[in-house]
Amino acid sequence: MRREPAGDVVRRTILKIPLTEMMTILKTWNFLSENQLQTVNFRQRKESLVQDLVLLCEENRASLNDAALLDIIYTQFHRHQKVWDVFQMSKGPGEDTDLFDMEQFKSSFKKILKRALKNVTVSFRDAEENAVWIRIAWGTQYRKPNQYKPAYVVYYSQTPYAFTSSSQLKSNLPLLGQALTVASKHHQIVKMDLRSRYLDSLKAIVFKQYNQTFETHNSTTPLQERSLGLDINMDSRIIHENKTEKERVQRVTQEIFGDYPQPRLEFAQYKLETKFKSDLNGGILAEREEPLRCLVKFSSPHLLEALKSLAPAGIADAPLSPLLTCIPNKGMNYFKIRDK
Amino acid sequence: MELANTLSQDGESRGGVLAHLERLETQVSRSRKKMEEPQSAQAEESALGTRIHELRRLRDKLRAEVKQHQASVKASTTNVESDQTSEITEQESLKRKRENVKAILQAYRFTGISGKLTSRGACVCISTAFEGNLLGSYFVDLVMRKPLQIHHHSIPVFIPLEEISAKYLQTNVQHFLFTLCEYLNAYSGRKYQADRLQSDFEAFLAGPLQRNSLCNLLSFTYKAEPEGQSFPFCARLLYKDLTTTLPTDVTVTYQGTDALSTTQEEQRAAHENLFFTKPLHQVFTSFARKGDKLDMSLVS
Repeated sequence: MRREPAGDVVRRTILKIPLTEMMTILKTWNFLSENQLQTVNFRQRKESLVQDLVLLCEENRASLNDAALLDIIYTQFHRHQKVWDVFQMSKGPGEDTDLFDMEQFKSSFKKILKRALKNVTVSFRDAEENAVWIRIAWGTQYRKPNQYKPAYVVYYSQTPYAFTSSSQLKSNLPLLGQALTVASKHHQIVKMDLRSRYLDSLKAIVFKQYNQTFETHNSTTPLQERSLGLDINMDSRIIHENKTEKERVQRVTQEIFGDYPQPRLEFAQYKLETKFKSDLNGGILAEREEPLRCLVKFSSPHLLEALKSLAPAGIADAPLSPLLTCIPNKGMNYFKIRDK
Repeated sequence: MELANTLSQDGESRGGVLAHLERLETQVSRSRKKMEEPQSAQAEESALGTRIHELRRLRDKLRAEVKQHQASVKASTTNVESDQTSEITEQESLKRKRENVKAILQAYRFTGISGKLTSRGACVCISTAFEGNLLGSYFVDLVMRKPLQIHHHSIPVFIPLEEISAKYLQTNVQHFLFTLCEYLNAYSGRKYQADRLQSDFEAFLAGPLQRNSLCNLLSFTYKAEPEGQSFPFCARLLYKDLTTTLPTDVTVTYQGTDALSTTQEEQRAAHENLFFTKPLHQVFTSFARKGDKLDMSLVS
């Protein structure tokens, strides 16, 4: 492996790291020793700091794999900077027990990619919960791998789900899918209609980990006795005219959204291909045979919490449309709605 | 008083005849009053006396009534009090019973499968254990509808919940829960063994323990004597049956170029057998004990 691309990848990656995180990330990388780190002045200007660090890395003869590891660590710290897709794999019926061997998976995955594309860099980093982060730098038959637009894959062993950072190089997606499927001993792979920057929320949604409150005999506060948001300490001169309705809305909202923090998504997109429906007879649109095509997109810093607050705020009727409330349950935030 | 002073100062009556007449008049009226006083006083006295008698009579009457009332009240309050105290003890005993029942319900989790009724149906708690150690608890919240549905759960994603539900949930809920219980207990047991190996017997491992989510494939290199000259063996344990805590396949190999001597081969085979029959951490505990024995023999 040439050292040049390694050094360049190291330099570019370190440049991206904010000064506040520099020490933590370098320690996690564990490529430079404690002594070496102590020789560096972390208070100098960033350009000079980066130069010093790159020199040390060259001294240690950083390989491309070392550089790739640093890149993976940076991405793990800044996972929100990428947009993640979710893939679902399935096995055939009556399969034997999944005896997942991480080393076998890694070597199989790498072999499949290398066999198809001579020029590809594949790096792995083990993560907690028996997961692995994979970094793939794509090349072609004739071009060296592009180290600056890698794809990332996060896979939790013995689960049917894989999370990939949306890559611009869409042409490599089938190959990636194949490598994942074969290496993890699945038969099929399908892209889910689920996408977000928040990797941990995607994981919570597909692993069904977002609602973890359960009624037990050990719980001291019964779930029903929640304050219904109508403050008792409020001025007694204020009467809630529609108290029953407010209580109903709170109850319905709680039934649908639960008491737990919602997983974080930034948008929900609905592609409509439906014929125009109108109560009034006549009108140009009503006579139209072809379906109308339109796109409705809801965006929010925290979409599900925003939807949860719509009915209590009086902006929407409760219960909300199931098209909105089914998002975590169905694991979808992309919808195509057609006439039946 | 003025009169007396006037007379004594002058020796003569002041004011003349009219004044003198006035003085005489006042004297007469005074003496008359004095004569009348005893009479009116007497009349008053007698009137007051009668009044006193009357009041006394009334007082005595009221006193008698009060006494009577008090007596009757006392009689009734003693009855009421005894009722109240018995009520209190009844309340206390009910409270105690309720707390007792609550404690029993809380303790039910030690049986492995326990549950609580919810507004939707029931929330079942599966508590896992291995070798008398209480391990994780997992929940399944069921909705009592036709078809029976799982509302939400805390079963790890790598446990084949969908498979088990598809087979048993609609036809035999008991079997569904027992099967799930089996899988979860076995998983917890395998995980417990792997965790113990990693934490308690680090010294015996030559490299990191390779494991997976289900803890059904474990691969590691170890030395039976961490300090000694025993050879490093590679062990590969497969648990093909997800309902067991002992491996179904064991391979112990020697990672070296030289061939194994007979004793080493015996050791290798013995280790293989140990891994088949004993939980993983217990195997290493026996390695540790053998090591102690050897040390003792060296000392003596």
